[in-house]
Amino acid sequence: MKVTFPHMGNAWIVIQTLFESLNVDVVVPPFNSKRTLNLGTKLSPESACLPLKLNLGNYLEAANAGADTIVITGGIGPCRFGYYGEVERQILWDAGYNYEVVTLEPPDGSLAGLAKRIRFLAGRKNSWAKILKAMRFAYLKSVALDRVEDLIHAARPRLSHPLYTEKLYESAKQRLAQTMTEKGVQDAVRWVQETIRERQEGLNSMNEGSNKPLRIGIVGEIYTILDPFSSVGIEEELGRLGVEVDRSIYLSGWVGSHIFRGIAPGYRSIRSYPRHAKPFLPHFVGGHGLETVGAAVKFAREGYDGIIQIFPLSCMPEIVAASVLPKVQETYKIPIMTLIVDEHTGHAGIQTRLEAYVDLLERPRLLRESIQTREGVLGVGG
Amino acid sequence: MRIGFPRALYYFDHFPFWAGFFHSLGIELVTSPATHRQIMEQGLKKASDETCLPLKLLAGHIQALKDVDWIFLPRIVSVETDTYTCPKFLGIPESLLTAVPQGMPVLTVTMNWRMGRRQVLKDLEGLGLKLGKGSPDVRMAFNEGIEWQKRYQDTMGAGWNFEDGIREIERAAKDLRESDKVPTPVTWKEQMFAKMSSTALKPTDELPIVDQNEDRLRIALVGHSYLIHESYANLNLLRKLREKAKVDLVQNVNQEEVETNLSGLRKKLFWSHSKQIFGAGNKFAEDQRVDGIIYLTCFGCGTDSMVQELVSRRAREQHKPYMVVTLDEHSGEAGLVTRLEAFLDMIERRRGHEGYVSTYGECLDRDSNAL
Repeated sequence: MKVTFPHMGNAWIVIQTLFESLNVDVVVPPFNSKRTLNLGTKLSPESACLPLKLNLGNYLEAANAGADTIVITGGIGPCRFGYYGEVERQILWDAGYNYEVVTLEPPDGSLAGLAKRIRFLAGRKNSWAKILKAMRFAYLKSVALDRVEDLIHAARPRLSHPLYTEKLYESAKQRLAQTMTEKGVQDAVRWVQETIRERQEGLNSMNEGSNKPLRIGIVGEIYTILDPFSSVGIEEELGRLGVEVDRSIYLSGWVGSHIFRGIAPGYRSIRSYPRHAKPFLPHFVGGHGLETVGAAVKFAREGYDGIIQIFPLSCMPEIVAASVLPKVQETYKIPIMTLIVDEHTGHAGIQTRLEAYVDLLERPRLLRESIQTREGVLGVGG
Repeated sequence: MRIGFPRALYYFDHFPFWAGFFHSLGIELVTSPATHRQIMEQGLKKASDETCLPLKLLAGHIQALKDVDWIFLPRIVSVETDTYTCPKFLGIPESLLTAVPQGMPVLTVTMNWRMGRRQVLKDLEGLGLKLGKGSPDVRMAFNEGIEWQKRYQDTMGAGWNFEDGIREIERAAKDLRESDKVPTPVTWKEQMFAKMSSTALKPTDELPIVDQNEDRLRIALVGHSYLIHESYANLNLLRKLREKAKVDLVQNVNQEEVETNLSGLRKKLFWSHSKQIFGAGNKFAEDQRVDGIIYLTCFGCGTDSMVQELVSRRAREQHKPYMVVTLDEHSGEAGLVTRLEAFLDMIERRRGHEGYVSTYGECLDRDSNAL
């Protein structure tokens, strides 16, 4: 049995770790690319959302490496993602791939069923203690990954060479992927911290009093905000434009709430979002629609300069969120931009919109600094 | 007190319940007129661009409600255990507040049958409180609503016509004021049931009766109730189809039959409409008497993007002619008619030539070679 799984940003590091510590053969599919998307789009229903298309592409590419079992999480909706496993199984079967699809969820609410599925994946040799230990370690790694990501978010606008920061990010990810001890994980995070600090000290002496960077909060559908390929590298792009980015959902926060059912909060808990969203949307709408609204409110209250919402075309929960967000924009006078991505999204188009958006955010700030202007003229919502 | 009920989305499934509920409370329920061009245009202006046609229509109907004290926009989370409705239903009314005319109060209630009857009743009591009704009244109204809904659903046989059925309900709901004035020996309810059963027994309606002609094609129309019965948005597809063929609808398939036809899925579908669509679609695909299946969907429908795929697979396995019609606000009638005619012609020809079908698609999937 060779297990594979769909990509979602850095999730592969965590999933690979989990299976490797259980001595299960795991195939990490090639990273998301144009090819992946093309392969997946051919098989997918045309109006399916982008993640499904990328998932299918991942499976096809993993099949070339000999994978025969797919692991995916589920859920009982009402977001479409909950039904991915079954639809993907049928599509792959028709296309001639004999994949076994294991959906990690309690089937019809039965925990025994879930245990059976985990047992099927882990094989007979692993004891439950070992499985739990492996899960805990993978979780720790996901928290560490999120810390590194957050550090990089802060470093991008502040360090002088964008390429250097990206290189640092890559090697940090590599370090985290390879290490199999808790100490190694901690060391990797510390190493990133130290390196950034050193670089910054070198910089500060050179150009003192550099501007405080703009802060933009990214909210939206989890796959598109976690996966740089589907969002056309929006975080990196914004970093290069001198913006500090934060996002509503981090991998470990999702793992904590979705898989551990809130036993572990993750690096950034998503628990507070429903409370923030309440005045605008008092009921969950599936997926992360409620979290999107809540996070937008939270970012606005924390004084962020702007908010960007990203979601795949036809995403149901995010459409609901998108129709509520104008109210948030009006209430808090914060510009919110919505980006919708699908298989036709082009890099240049997104880049242009981001540049224009950042210009828009920067202008009132520059004006305020230089001369006293008619304040409010440039404010949003009149 | 007059409460406005937009003729869109949940109207097509749950109107009888609400009609019964408010009738029992002695509140007049006003529905918006049938969709026409202006309603659609108003809806397009006010609803968010990304959302689907039915929601845009709902936005239009909200604006078409005149002279009412409240606009009623319930949040229908779930209509049975283990399923949800579409996420966009869950976002009502917040996502449509932009369409509500300024100053018009919105009345809402959360209906979540997943949590059980007790919770639903509790939420309805909250609604009653807002309307100044006590909980015994609400309980009675609730039972009344359930009964109306059940009666309505029981009439949904093969020869059933949505418009006739719903018209009876609307008439019964409107009878309120008249029955107040003149206490008639026959209660509104008996009137309604009498009318409904008579329509159900009647061999279907005014349509040209060619039923004796056994050669008539039999086409199954599969899709959401709010598309199939929304005759303005679907360009009268149902009537056009009925002129040429016998039509089976998903809505005519009863719950038990749906349940027995859910086989072949490793995971239960968790959307109530989709479950019905898939179960009925599966039944139609296997039914040898059905000549073809038309799947009616709208652009951007999330649940259909998945379920359409599943149903099309079933149809292909059974070598059943299958066509998908996707609606949006730009649908043109000529295009639809052309496709419909071509589809029906193809089926007729297939009948004549039996197995001699075009070889196209032979290698599309595993089953095609087994013809």
